[in-house]
Amino acid sequence: MATKTATSDVIPWDKIDMLLRHRTGRVLLAAITALLVYVVLSGTGIGPEETSTRIILSMVVGCLLWAHLVYGAWLVKRELQGLFVIWGVVTVVFFLRFLTPGDPTIALTPPDASTDVREQLARRLGLDEPLYVQYADYIWNLVTLDMGRSLRTQVPVMDLILIRLPATIELAVAATLVAMVIAIPLGVISARRRHKPADYSATLFSLVGISTPNFWLGIMLILYVAVTVDFLPTGGRSIGFAAAWGGLLMEGDFDGISRWFAQLILPAITLGTFFTALLTRLTRSGMLEEIGKAYFKACQAKGLPETIILYKHVLRNTLIPIITVLGLQLGTLIGGAVITEFVFAWPGLGRFLINSIHSRDWMVIQGIIIIIGIGFVVINIAVDAAYAYLDPRVELR
Amino acid sequence: MISARLRRSLKREFRQSRMAQVGALILVVIFITTAFAPFFAPHDPTEQRIGTGTTEDMSYLPPPVFSTTENVTVFEDGERVTREVTTQGNWSFVLGTDRHGRDILSRILYGGRVSLSVGLVGAALAALIGVPWGLAAGFAGGRVDDTLMRWADVMLAFPSLVLAIALVGIFRGTPFHTRAIGDPFVWAANSDFVPNILIPRAGHVAEMPESMTFPVTVTIVVALVNTVWFARVARGEAISVREEDYIKAARSMGTGKLTILRKHVLPNSMTPIIVLATIQVAAIILLESALSYLGFSGISLSWGQDIQRGQSDLRRGWWMATMPGLAIVAAVVAVNLVGDWLRDALDPSIEGEGGV
Amino acid sequence: MTEILRVEGLTTRFFTDEGQINAVEDVDFRIHEGEIFGIVGESGSGKSVTALSLVDIVEKPGQIVSGRIWLRNPHLADSIRSDNPDAVDGEMVDLRSINPRLRRALRGSAFSMIFQDPMSSFNPSITVGEQIAEAVEVQRRAKANPRSTASRTQGFGLGQFAMATVLPSKRFVTPAGRDRAIELLELVGIPDPAQRAEEYPHQFSGGMLQRAMIAQALASEPDILLADEPTTALDVTIQAQVLELLEEIRDRTNMTILLITHNLGVIARTCDRVGVMYAGEMVERGTLTDIFRDSVHPYTQGLIGSIPQLDQVKGRLQPIPGNVPSLRAAELGDRCYFADRCPKAMKRCLEKPPMFDVDGSEKHRAKCYLAEQPYDEGDALPEDYFDG
Ligand SMILES: Nc1ncnc2c1ncn2[C@@H]1O[C@H](COP(=O)(O)OP(=O)(O)OP(=O)(O)O)[C@@H](O)[C@H]1O
Ligand code: SF4
Ligand SMILES: [Mg+2]
Repeated sequence: MATKTATSDVIPWDKIDMLLRHRTGRVLLAAITALLVYVVLSGTGIGPEETSTRIILSMVVGCLLWAHLVYGAWLVKRELQGLFVIWGVVTVVFFLRFLTPGDPTIALTPPDASTDVREQLARRLGLDEPLYVQYADYIWNLVTLDMGRSLRTQVPVMDLILIRLPATIELAVAATLVAMVIAIPLGVISARRRHKPADYSATLFSLVGISTPNFWLGIMLILYVAVTVDFLPTGGRSIGFAAAWGGLLMEGDFDGISRWFAQLILPAITLGTFFTALLTRLTRSGMLEEIGKAYFKACQAKGLPETIILYKHVLRNTLIPIITVLGLQLGTLIGGAVITEFVFAWPGLGRFLINSIHSRDWMVIQGIIIIIGIGFVVINIAVDAAYAYLDPRVELR
Repeated sequence: MISARLRRSLKREFRQSRMAQVGALILVVIFITTAFAPFFAPHDPTEQRIGTGTTEDMSYLPPPVFSTTENVTVFEDGERVTREVTTQGNWSFVLGTDRHGRDILSRILYGGRVSLSVGLVGAALAALIGVPWGLAAGFAGGRVDDTLMRWADVMLAFPSLVLAIALVGIFRGTPFHTRAIGDPFVWAANSDFVPNILIPRAGHVAEMPESMTFPVTVTIVVALVNTVWFARVARGEAISVREEDYIKAARSMGTGKLTILRKHVLPNSMTPIIVLATIQVAAIILLESALSYLGFSGISLSWGQDIQRGQSDLRRGWWMATMPGLAIVAAVVAVNLVGDWLRDALDPSIEGEGGV
Repeated sequence: MTEILRVEGLTTRFFTDEGQINAVEDVDFRIHEGEIFGIVGESGSGKSVTALSLVDIVEKPGQIVSGRIWLRNPHLADSIRSDNPDAVDGEMVDLRSINPRLRRALRGSAFSMIFQDPMSSFNPSITVGEQIAEAVEVQRRAKANPRSTASRTQGFGLGQFAMATVLPSKRFVTPAGRDRAIELLELVGIPDPAQRAEEYPHQFSGGMLQRAMIAQALASEPDILLADEPTTALDVTIQAQVLELLEEIRDRTNMTILLITHNLGVIARTCDRVGVMYAGEMVERGTLTDIFRDSVHPYTQGLIGSIPQLDQVKGRLQPIPGNVPSLRAAELGDRCYFADRCPKAMKRCLEKPPMFDVDGSEKHRAKCYLAEQPYDEGDALPEDYFDG
């Protein structure tokens, strides 16, 4: 009893409670935690070595905390479901190796691999053990975040992946931003000027956009744009996000940020075009559907300015179902990122995956697939949460 | 399968929509020219023309009207001389030639055979697996539904391209990775059984390649990774049909589940499945081209492979990578237009909206 | 009693792919200040399109083809009298002849509308209080800055919108607007209004939401309240409450109400004067007694004959055998549109009847030859005339 009183004296629980009920309070708490995590990580030197990876890690922790504060039990339930899906992914990956024709240590190792390496793989996969032992070992390794070592370079797979992850995330986020910034206004204009030239051009653009293979689009951009505009490189990633923005903010270095921007433009357009087109289409048809609803007439009858009707009422309601569709198209985004990275020599996970398949480095392939599966699950949960946030009729239970 | 009412609405929509007409026209042209490629292709798509001693080497020949200039180093009187050579396109090679002097137009026609057949076979295969899966899940409900659909979630967790790459990467070594399929027209033109009078341009056709290579694993894999979409749609339909009164009546009269599925549920689910299948053909063509671009399909004559080779020759000429890509865009646009037409005509709930 | 609205020859058509639809054809009526004017007619007779035409929110492919809508607005009349004398008649202003921007600025303040289905007429993803506050805000801003209302963006363009998403103080709806919304909710009898204002439409019952809709319509303090079948979607007991609320508002604030319904019971208990619509035309209009006791148009008589008791609120009309004609111009022909269902159709009726004064009173008018001559059986159309 005494200790309880003491703690409640020292820590103002009611104030904290109030803080946590408030939107800004939760954000603040999460931000502080993220900062703390970062300070601890860089102070003690544990965890990933790269600064950008550290920043990402602490941001992830902050976001997780915030999400749990906001969504509570619902999020935990979704996480459990997500774990189930990840377990499924992992299991499928486990069984993939039995589909390989012939001796897996040959099919799953680089063509020039030494006997040592093949024995290492055999040991790692536990090939001479009974199946259930192999499976249990495999799961246990994953649970302990041990993905083994690359059969080619002997570097831990986890490190290889973490180094490349930021580049992929950067590309995917940039493409999504490009898509949203272009597609939403385009869809709105198209719906407003229905059956006018602007509408027809937007429609034509979206048709061609969803029909263009993005690797070819990337090549065309290199061929016709990058060679004429010297500002734009034809590929590669010479500077990372953290270095570019850090340089700008800390040292006022504009050169880094402009290089960062230039290298990102063409890949982002390449990856984003499909989604721009899809989103334009969805926005247009969604807007038209919403405009047909009775509340649109009611808004007009009230005399609301058109801006408010279109953007506050109609667009918002249009975006709600679109979010679900985009969640389903996430696989396309990731697949597109793989191929965009390949075209632009972008040093991310996708190019790494393709190279690893060409060099038959099974440990790496397996690791990348699992990471992509996890990413997919996480983003899907985020999509559902966003859906519920926008649509008050959906209750998170 | 398709009622008279639907057929009427298909016709009306077709008459009203210029886009549907354009799509259908492109698709028909592509179908005919690729299916009868030996008749339409101006040259043998695999014939190389380097060092043939003709006017130029005919490699890197641009399309007519265009010309390219490059520096060529030759030995002359035992000395290296670099000379500027300008090559002018000519009308015999309408879209130019690639680095080995192969005719790009012919390659596009033959490549289209691969892409379209993978698209059609792949979508059909995906439907054949996915539809029963989804129908069973939706109609059975309960535990079965949960289990089957959980697997669908798991499959969705793999981005289809990533999964396809992984699967193809693993299957690459198998003997059935690709299969050669004889070309009936060329066979007929060459055989003694069929009188050559029956075959137009028999002499020309006889010179064409005798077989085409069909990427078996790629087809199976693209079908597998797209199965889940069919399962989702079929399940949704089955669930909505399940609640209909006449199905309940049929059930209460003791009609077997399989009979109900086959007689009532399947026909009712047909329209959305057809629409989905059309859209999937477009998706599969894109997926196949990506796989062969990355070099996983195991065949060398396909749109994706030609683009990849064109990319490595990007400095030598723009047309090699550009042309096959335009072919892909045309084919996929056409399929999408036809898909939109079907959707607008068959699904009144989204009629007129979102359509192109 | 002063006249507040005078509609002359209002004609609204839809130019669809399937042909031209004459939804509202040459409709005339007048409304006096503080009265409840009812419009009654079967489904598809053009009642809603009439209301939408008044507010000028008929959507494409629809178009108001002709007609004048005179609204009493002394202030506006004075301000435009010199520039646009045609649009002014005493204190009345013709909304069809003024600048479209000016007309749009009058939305809400001239007419505000109550719709049939409250559930779909509120935006499902915005709180009820916020939506009512928007209506308050539109008028507040118009008063505070009269010139901005005549601009294309009504003083709130994309720039302001973008700013508002960042700065809460720049939002369209201000705290004052929210407070007013809560007052209005209280006014229409919603218990615990402050909390209800924070709730979303799906958390309301149908009757409560219709009250909220009335609150929203009152928010802009309109000259005329247009109620388009305000009770059709509600339970019977709730219907009575909503009607009572409307009457109470009229009694308290001397509000003018245009009540659209296809329920003659509702008309009988609430309205002062009535117009009967059929196939896009207003076929008869007059006071409640004119319509219920002395009607001349066989359609009106059919409507009345079909309800068992006058003050029974319940019961839809299923009066006269046959269907409302399709309003496609091509199929309408040039006769009395009711002739195919009219039990008293005469040969003469194959020519379109004009509007007649009944008993020499221009307060009671009807579009039917029976207003000037008795039914002549010798001249009757054969029964199967329209079957072939
Ligand atoms: N957007 C539109 N496009 C084409 N025709 C329309 C449109 N809106 C209304 N109409 C036509 O106008 C006519 C009158 O419709 P209106 O909605 O005014 O009828 P109503 O009297 O209000 O009927 P209800 O009692 O069903 O509400 C109908 O025949 C309808 O076909
Ligand atoms: S004009 Fe003739 S047809 Fe029309 S309502 Fe009167 S009597 Fe009947
Ligand atoms: Mg109506």
